[in-house]
Amino acid sequence: MAKAFGIITSASNRYVVEGMQEYRPISSFSFAGRYRLVDFPISNMSNSNIDRIQVYISGNPRSLVEHLGTGRHYNINSKRGKLQLLFHDEGNINRLYNTDIAAFMDSIEIIERIHEEYVVITTSNMIFTQDFSALLDQHIKSEADISLLYHRVENAHDSFRGCNILNLNRQKGVQSIETNMGNSKDRNIFMETYVMKKSIFLDIIKKAARTSSMYHLSGAVNLEASELDIRGIQHKGFFAAVTDLKSYYDANLMLINQENARNLFDPKWPIYTQTTDSCPTQYFEGADVKNSMISNGCTIEGTIENCVIGRGVHVGKGAVIKNSVILAYSRIGKGVLVENQVVDKWARIIHANEVVSEAGKPGYVRRDDTL
Amino acid sequence: MSQNNMLAMILAGGRGSRLLDLTNKVAKPAVSFGGKYRIVDFPLSNCANSGINVVGVLTQYESVVLNSYVAAGGQWGLDTKDSGVFVLPPREKAEEGFNVYRGTADAISQNIDFIDSYSPDYLLILSGDHIYKMDYDEMLNYHKMQNADLTVAVRPVPWKEASRFGIMFADETGRITEFQEKPKEPKSNLASMGIYIFTWKTLRKVLLADMKNPDSSHDFGNDVIPEFLNSGKKLVAYTFDGYWKDVGTIDSLWEANMDLLGKKSELKMDDPNWKIYTGDASTLPQLIGPNALIDRAYITQGCIVDGEVHHSVLFTGAEVEEGAVVTDSVLMPGSVVEAGAVVTRALVADGIKIGKGAKVGSADSESITLVAKRVKGEE
Repeated sequence: MAKAFGIITSASNRYVVEGMQEYRPISSFSFAGRYRLVDFPISNMSNSNIDRIQVYISGNPRSLVEHLGTGRHYNINSKRGKLQLLFHDEGNINRLYNTDIAAFMDSIEIIERIHEEYVVITTSNMIFTQDFSALLDQHIKSEADISLLYHRVENAHDSFRGCNILNLNRQKGVQSIETNMGNSKDRNIFMETYVMKKSIFLDIIKKAARTSSMYHLSGAVNLEASELDIRGIQHKGFFAAVTDLKSYYDANLMLINQENARNLFDPKWPIYTQTTDSCPTQYFEGADVKNSMISNGCTIEGTIENCVIGRGVHVGKGAVIKNSVILAYSRIGKGVLVENQVVDKWARIIHANEVVSEAGKPGYVRRDDTL
Repeated sequence: MSQNNMLAMILAGGRGSRLLDLTNKVAKPAVSFGGKYRIVDFPLSNCANSGINVVGVLTQYESVVLNSYVAAGGQWGLDTKDSGVFVLPPREKAEEGFNVYRGTADAISQNIDFIDSYSPDYLLILSGDHIYKMDYDEMLNYHKMQNADLTVAVRPVPWKEASRFGIMFADETGRITEFQEKPKEPKSNLASMGIYIFTWKTLRKVLLADMKNPDSSHDFGNDVIPEFLNSGKKLVAYTFDGYWKDVGTIDSLWEANMDLLGKKSELKMDDPNWKIYTGDASTLPQLIGPNALIDRAYITQGCIVDGEVHHSVLFTGAEVEEGAVVTDSVLMPGSVVEAGAVVTRALVADGIKIGKGAKVGSADSESITLVAKRVKGEE
């Protein structure tokens, strides 16, 4: 039994992903064909023996509620553990008020009643695996007040825009948390993952809520940097952040690389998801598939190169799909060319001869759309 | 129980010794099929899709894997308040001591207490070694309409093969007047599929008598059905003409897998209204590498392919490395074909590695090569 409970924040109050987000919150985005982004933090917690987990939802909750269900598929003991869905959205008043702290304050009585001494907070727009129980042990041993997880990157000038970064001193003490403005290549991207005592967490959010309705947790923790002992802990392994359509597209395509895929999907650290009981994928004569990740339930008669294909996608004879992310149940008709696209669920590209965008600037085909 | 008040019992006790090394460690119903399934998923999913809530699975031979697999009834949605999948191995009983199941009918007789606890009106008997999709509720409607004591599902088989089956001879109303077990000179080509619906009250009486009969072999085909006929009970034939395959041998298991590769597979695995449910594997989707060449294949999640795959079925987590060529073959879960190896007309068992550059099977072999031990390759 872990000494901590888990919180998974909604990234939808910080980022806007063009197109996709109209239909579902970021947590609910499809990833690597058969997963949704929220599967990664929940599986990380479940594998770390954290079985009391709160998932904060903002935006249209339908798909997320359906996907999470009772949480049984995440290997969480349904009697001892609990997967709680906490809905909070004030976006219709003003997006400004849609902060994670406002969401926590909404559920403050529930948080106060939880008996675990520590809390692990993480986000659903970042994709990585992490043993949180090891992180908790390290945090307790260090005697720090708060530990923050970060990933060192060398491309912060053109990626991870809008993410938070950690400025660290030599002892890995956190001096400040600020937004990445893209003015330096080497940065410590803050993975929006915190470990601290529940009592400290409650103090910080209550204080922040009294001070300003606009505070996010990262901002509130930043204000404590001079008062509290806040340390950074470096994460190693696969890491991607979804902050806009381009980063969503890139994160998916990173997995075509076998080394990346094997790193993220370690058989000893399973990522759980809701099964749809779709049958295996059928490749017909004329299929030519290379460098791609393909989900079950597809029928393929055309060419697929450098793609991530969701469940139950039909690719017609002579169709060519390159460098694209195709979400579940879409249909790419005979002879159609699709390049550099994110094609949302249930879309049918059957009349258009080609849907092509410039490399590095992926286009978006709406859900249920017929082209 | 609710829904159609029919309880199902799956006879899953046989070893399936004609499947050779595949059933050394697991009973036949637990053998893998079709990329991600096990054979027993078919009757269990058919039950779930037919509105049957309670299923007993009668096990005997090497049942550890089968028991733990089947007991998780949630995989087929059979884990609600009034549904369940129950594993029923032979039990020690106070009056009689411990008896193994002496025959298919005895397996049911020894579980009369279990069946009675649900007081069903009808009992469906299934075997755990056939691949097919069937709506048992439609068969039950036929049973009720005919006001039968026993309905036997039958299918027409080629006349020359009829002597391998239990053959039913039915009149124009569908009433079975004669039953021949593996006859030399068959009177009909309607073969029993081993799927029976009994009116439980009637069967219960016959079973109680059969248990005490020292001359009985306690078998449905040999004893119970003849007894039903002799005592003038109403037996009717229910004709099923969909896909149905006995996968009792390596060749037929291979063939049934190959049947999935056609453009219009008769089994309709992708029918969203009649899915086959199975244990979910927590693996990544399938990963196809830069050197892959795949045509006519049935591939499931967790597979990693960077070689050539022609007309083959790959099961969960199977890997085909760069330069390897797999043709007309079945790769069972977790098997690996290493770089440059060639696999032709073979069935590679679970977790088996074919080493670098090794060759197994051949295009003109009479039967399918079963590879159940590691094949060493170049060092």
